[in-house]
Amino acid sequence: MPATVRLNDRAAIVGIGQLPFSKDIGRPIGDTAVEAVLRALEDAGLKPSDVDGTVKFQMEDTQECAIARRAGVDNLRFFCEVKYGGGPNCAVVGHAAAAITLGLASVVVCWRARNRAARTSRPWAQERGVVHDDKMWHLPWGLIRPVDLIAMWGRYHMERYGTTREQLAEVAIAFRKHAMRNPAAMMQKPLSLDDYLGSRMIGDPLCLYDCSLESDGAIACVVTSAERARDLRHRPAYVHAYAQGTGPNQVHLANYNTSDFSTSARYCAEELWRRSDLQPKDIQCAQIYDAFTPLVILGLEEYGLCEAGAGGRFVAGGTLGPGGKLPTNTSGGSLSEAYVHGMNLVSEGVRQIHGTSTSQVPDCKAVLVTGAAAVSTSALVLRGD
Amino acid sequence: MARYPTLHPDHPLPDVDEPIGRPFWEHCRNHELRIQQSRSSGRFVFPPRPHYAGDFEWVRVSGRGRILSFVIVRPPFLPAFQARVPFPIAVVELDEGPRLVGQVLDCAIDDVRCGMSVEVVFEDLTEQVTLPQWRPVRP
Repeated sequence: MPATVRLNDRAAIVGIGQLPFSKDIGRPIGDTAVEAVLRALEDAGLKPSDVDGTVKFQMEDTQECAIARRAGVDNLRFFCEVKYGGGPNCAVVGHAAAAITLGLASVVVCWRARNRAARTSRPWAQERGVVHDDKMWHLPWGLIRPVDLIAMWGRYHMERYGTTREQLAEVAIAFRKHAMRNPAAMMQKPLSLDDYLGSRMIGDPLCLYDCSLESDGAIACVVTSAERARDLRHRPAYVHAYAQGTGPNQVHLANYNTSDFSTSARYCAEELWRRSDLQPKDIQCAQIYDAFTPLVILGLEEYGLCEAGAGGRFVAGGTLGPGGKLPTNTSGGSLSEAYVHGMNLVSEGVRQIHGTSTSQVPDCKAVLVTGAAAVSTSALVLRGD
Repeated sequence: MARYPTLHPDHPLPDVDEPIGRPFWEHCRNHELRIQQSRSSGRFVFPPRPHYAGDFEWVRVSGRGRILSFVIVRPPFLPAFQARVPFPIAVVELDEGPRLVGQVLDCAIDDVRCGMSVEVVFEDLTEQVTLPQWRPVRP
């Protein structure tokens, strides 16, 4: 076995940028991505000419050469993209940190521009006719919408561990409370348990408020070496650890094949904590991928922030909300801020380290950020000095 | 592909000609549920793997299993499934171990339960495509 190159704290996120989230941004993603990148560079105090690398989401139909050209970047000497929807929100940063640590690039930008608020933009609604590869094993039966695919884990958890709809509601309500403190969040109205229980069922046992928003948005971040980061404007958000994972016999979006019905997150978590000096007990604030509420309860368990099976009880009583024991998705997350494939979870993790969150955890130095867990996934531990 | 007249033209269909999974669909067409089993380890694997990736044999399985989890798909949903909504889809663990997803037929949606014993029932969608579905095992 070759010696492992440790990435721990060798690179840092030094700037973030975003456009206002909306139901109709009115501009193509090849435009909004550029502006988000420029805003992130400005936040970092860096220039487009400093950039020499990019890592993007494969699902975003843009070309990095065009984004770089429009932003005024001279030359990319490192560029790649990572697949699987919202799975790579942390991997894009991890790949950037790896490239920087290996000297393949010095300033790498990562972004996600996503226009999904329009009904016509939903991929699942376009599925018809002959389907291929992994989709062949669930779409023909009508298991198509992400909500239905994720509801399988929700039902299983409720059945096996006694998790209740009221506990799922705790997740949605806690994130709404964070959103209402965040002027950038799309959802600003209070959400009550009655609102939750009274909403329509979509993929039973999941209802409307178990589902993330559909939004148009664009978010970028800038990654550079720890040495360079120390001379820049913000307290560096060090990439302390990063990991990816698929788990065994992975079927994209429908991986019901693990013996204990766990998700890819369990396998990613093992690798993450192996690579991390900080451990679950050290985490002060979490940003758990929340396309649907059960993923938060599962994520808390699979990343070791609570015992396996205890996630429902753990979130009860406002644990995740403002002032709770483990403030989580402190910008409102995908459920109440915006759904940008979890890139807002990365940027909010950075704000917690910078000290600029609207639900700031005092003196926050250790944040866990995670990616979509029903698919091949990724996670990050961000550390502050 | 010839379709049965009740099938909605947009209904998603599996790529039954894809070489890795083709035997599975051929057996389904004959109303037989066959799953790959490793000759050396005895383990069943699903979804199918290429024949050259192991010592697999397509073995006829019991067609019995239990519901591990399920979802009730509520409208609004795709037009292709308009005649079915609301309907239950389950993850079924076969007695032999592998897990398949499929609809639970011949069962009121309020009666579907985790742990319920089910057996396979074949639904012909087109001349080429037959889906394994599930129904409760009644004593």
